[in-house]
Amino acid sequence: MIFMKRLSLYIVTILTGSCIFYSCDEVINPALEKAEPVLVIDAWLNDAVGDQKIKITRSQPYFENVLPTGVSGAVISVTDTNGKVYSFSETEAGVYVWTPLVNERFGEVGLSYNLSVQVGSEIFVSEARMGRAPAVDSITFLLVPGGQFADDQYQAEFWATDPIEPGDAYWIKFYKNGIQQLKPSEIITAYDAGFSKGGNFSGVPFIAPIRRAINSFDEDKDEQPLSPYVVGDSVNVVIQSITEAGFNFLNQVVIQTNRPGGFGELFATPLANVDTNIVNSNATGSKVQGFFNVGAATSLGRKFKSLDELSEN
Amino acid sequence: MRTKILYLLFFLAYVSAFAQPKHTISGYIKDAANGEVLIGATIYIKSLTTGATTNVYGFYSVTVDGGTYDVSYSYIGFASQVKTLTLSENTRIDIELQGEGMQLEEVVVSSTKDEQGVKAQEMSTNRLDVKTIIRIPAFLGEADVIKSLIQLPGVSTVGEGASGFNVRGGSVGQNLILLDEATVYNSSHLLGFFSVFNPDAVKDIKLYKGAIPARFGGRLSSLLDVRMKEGNNKTYEVNGGVGTIFSRGAVEGPLFKGDGSFIVAGRRSYADILARPFVDLLKDGGALNFYDLTGKANYNINKRNRIFVSGYTGRDKFFFDGNQGFSWGNNTGTIRWNKIFNDRLFANFSGIFSQYDYSLQFGDNERDNFRWKSSIRNLTFKPSFSYFLNTKNEISFGVEANYYSFQPANAFGTSNGNRIDISLPEKYNLESSAYVGNTQQLSSKISVEYGLRYSRFNGFGPGKQYTYNDTIPGRRRSVVDEKTFANGETTSTYQNFEPRFSFKAELNDLSSIKASYTRMAQYLHLISNTTASNPLDVWTPTSNNIKPELGDQWVLGYFRDFGKEKMFEFSVEAYYRNTQNQIDYIDGADLLINEFLEGDLLVGNGRAYGVEFYLQKKVGRFTGWAAYTIARTELKVDGINRGEWYAARFDQTHNLKLSGFYDLNKRWSASANFTFVSGTPSTFPTSRYVVQDILIPYNALESRNNVRLPAYHRLDVSFRLEGRTVKRNGNARKNSDYWVFGVYNLYGRRNPFSIYFTQGKDRVTQGSPINSEARQLSIIGTVVPSVSYNFKF
Repeated sequence: MIFMKRLSLYIVTILTGSCIFYSCDEVINPALEKAEPVLVIDAWLNDAVGDQKIKITRSQPYFENVLPTGVSGAVISVTDTNGKVYSFSETEAGVYVWTPLVNERFGEVGLSYNLSVQVGSEIFVSEARMGRAPAVDSITFLLVPGGQFADDQYQAEFWATDPIEPGDAYWIKFYKNGIQQLKPSEIITAYDAGFSKGGNFSGVPFIAPIRRAINSFDEDKDEQPLSPYVVGDSVNVVIQSITEAGFNFLNQVVIQTNRPGGFGELFATPLANVDTNIVNSNATGSKVQGFFNVGAATSLGRKFKSLDELSEN
Repeated sequence: MRTKILYLLFFLAYVSAFAQPKHTISGYIKDAANGEVLIGATIYIKSLTTGATTNVYGFYSVTVDGGTYDVSYSYIGFASQVKTLTLSENTRIDIELQGEGMQLEEVVVSSTKDEQGVKAQEMSTNRLDVKTIIRIPAFLGEADVIKSLIQLPGVSTVGEGASGFNVRGGSVGQNLILLDEATVYNSSHLLGFFSVFNPDAVKDIKLYKGAIPARFGGRLSSLLDVRMKEGNNKTYEVNGGVGTIFSRGAVEGPLFKGDGSFIVAGRRSYADILARPFVDLLKDGGALNFYDLTGKANYNINKRNRIFVSGYTGRDKFFFDGNQGFSWGNNTGTIRWNKIFNDRLFANFSGIFSQYDYSLQFGDNERDNFRWKSSIRNLTFKPSFSYFLNTKNEISFGVEANYYSFQPANAFGTSNGNRIDISLPEKYNLESSAYVGNTQQLSSKISVEYGLRYSRFNGFGPGKQYTYNDTIPGRRRSVVDEKTFANGETTSTYQNFEPRFSFKAELNDLSSIKASYTRMAQYLHLISNTTASNPLDVWTPTSNNIKPELGDQWVLGYFRDFGKEKMFEFSVEAYYRNTQNQIDYIDGADLLINEFLEGDLLVGNGRAYGVEFYLQKKVGRFTGWAAYTIARTELKVDGINRGEWYAARFDQTHNLKLSGFYDLNKRWSASANFTFVSGTPSTFPTSRYVVQDILIPYNALESRNNVRLPAYHRLDVSFRLEGRTVKRNGNARKNSDYWVFGVYNLYGRRNPFSIYFTQGKDRVTQGSPINSEARQLSIIGTVVPSVSYNFKF
């Protein structure tokens, strides 16, 4: 499905390029059904240096464009299969933090972790195994020559090789000048070295569309495309391992959030709820959304110092 | 058991056959202008109040007592002929009828008014002739078979640009589309804006929405039977047109001194040719076009044998350059042999090839690229027989064997020089069936058609079969067991009996009631979970995990003619359909290049019901029709909508279509159509939440299709100007031509195709709230004018 998304974007590009249609895409304000808020647990933990955070909030009406308010007073613990307990304490409303000792990191590849969150009298639980993540070997920059509609662009590409033996999944995050790029179109996932589990790409370098996904395509005020990177910019790439459930979760998130509009709508699937791997220990208790993942994280950064650094395409 | 039923049917039909000496009149009914056989033309013997209609090959056969009769031959739009015959032996009569031509000064109401609606045995069918299709105002002025069908009752679409059509609440993949008997797996050009049928090469279009005869099977909801022209066997003729988006041309003429004929017709779009100097998006090898070529030839070996060869090839191409892009296309070929064994036994043997394929490729260098091809191919052999037992019974029987091979993915990816084969195994299947049916006149007022079809579907190795676990409904199922099959080994077998029954009672000369029951089985499934069907949808066979889809439909209808000389035809039909083993998809299903696709499918049941009203004025200066349908289509699938019934994506409560044609004077005519359709259902969120700084829409009520889009309505008009028929010097012109000026969406309504929910386009600073919004997409949001020029010489 993720593949379909990319494909539809591609077709949209061609169709709009051909300018033979008359479509129209506008903002409207439909009435929505009302619903009770639902508890949301955002627990993505990794072994990078530093604090680990879990956020607890509630869902809001769809058009309420304000920050969600935190849920205070929860009791949270994460326990690994060896019985080691990581406890999280609330630092601000709804934000719960685990602070490492000197030289300590969260988690160990290969172990499984149990999450327990108590809110009021209800206990929500989940489980996740920490997978491996390959090192980011290098980052290169390349020139993508412009044409009639675009100027020359400088794009970044990262190089890493998926380990032998299939069954790994990753969330590839990237930061431009220290800011995480997180538009719906910038959520990059990989199953082994390819897009999906059935794809059978394993034990090879990540495929080109993934290697080159670490570019954000923004437009200026006149809707002219901007080069993803210019001399002086820096890029940082993080490969974080995710569980298969985490991979499915992020792909569902992409399907639900990355709506380019236009002809892409012909290829869109109906709106559906994204799964959660967190359950209420009382099956008839209140609902919960969110996700629990524990992963290894590797990273590499590079600054684009001069045009001499461009690699052969 | 099966053979017993067949014998019984034959016996029942045969009992009344040998009472007294009888003789048969048989032959072909043709158009005098070009020798094309006329499908559904009527032969009628008034003194006996009996008659027959020609079959799809233009053949009729009537068996009556010896004697002298006035036999009339008629067809709508043609002057009828009456022959006085003295029958003392079996007689072969081939008739050519003269077209009536344009008669504008007076309203012509003649005996050629057909009484199909009231008198015909069949119900739930609609016929469109090409003359009508050409007059319906069309998008960009291009007459289109499928878009014309949507003007009929019970037929709908989810929106502009969507492929295919929906019939009585069936999905796009539940329509069997036949072009000269060959299955067309994707009927669309340019996503869904145009269809693959070239009106220049099409002769007759018939849509069966219910009461489908036993000789057809394989899809749940409808059958679209498109028959190609045979070509003019009297004189050479060239037709063509230049339009806004493509041009077309057709040549037809006699072969073998009129014992045969041929037609070749082609179309090509030229957006890319026009754009090439301006758009360097289309580099070397780039393309943005579609084309199709349709051809047919036939030869009369002698009075009793005739052969036909027909074929279609067409392709859509969207290529950035020589290496990157995507294309799809159909190829079909049909060889047919019509054999008249004797005056009463007509046979047709068809050998058919059909293929649909698409390919997609990315990556412009050797080290990093992706190449994917997918196809479905089938070979069919289909002998079918009509036995005109007597005037009271017309028996049809036959068998059909369909061999399929599916290639879901022949795909390779290269990553930094490492080439990986990600192909999926091919699948092989055989669908075989046998049928027998009889149309029987029980009395002068009451007739029935009954039949039985037996269908069987086998899967063959080589291949693997997976068994999946059970899990919470709506979640992906995983493989728990797999089994490997050798070449030719049977992997799975299913069989179904599909009874068909219909009943007609004429209340009087002007009205009749009809009822029918139809069971259909479908073994091929179109896997698609997008808003509109699209060219990459995969056809997947029934397997150990996917059961055959079954549908039972009941229809009750009332038909009435009224007005001066029966100038109006009215019908109302109510239908109810139950379907089993309907396929739906888990959230986040991965449908393409997925070996474990079957683990992402859900199964449920469906129901559809509605009432269709149809009023048509067929003759006069003003002609046209009004079609109104009120309907409901629902699905119930474990894991969706809390397991409760929900409206299907293509459910439309009200569907009103008005089509009118008016002859202003000798040269100008006007056409208009108006469409009003209730909004289709859509799923809207109630809430939103944030995980990892990503804004996620959420429907806390877990509903599917909980909201209706705003209603869709549109008015189109067109004007046709006939070219002069005489030259300036007063001599008649040999050639004829006409212009069509059209406006689609006259009042420029922005009809919603979909409403979708997304975060704002701007980048959000971390720590700031994310803006969410609803957007409405109109595929055609403006007035679309068009002009085309058409000629014939």
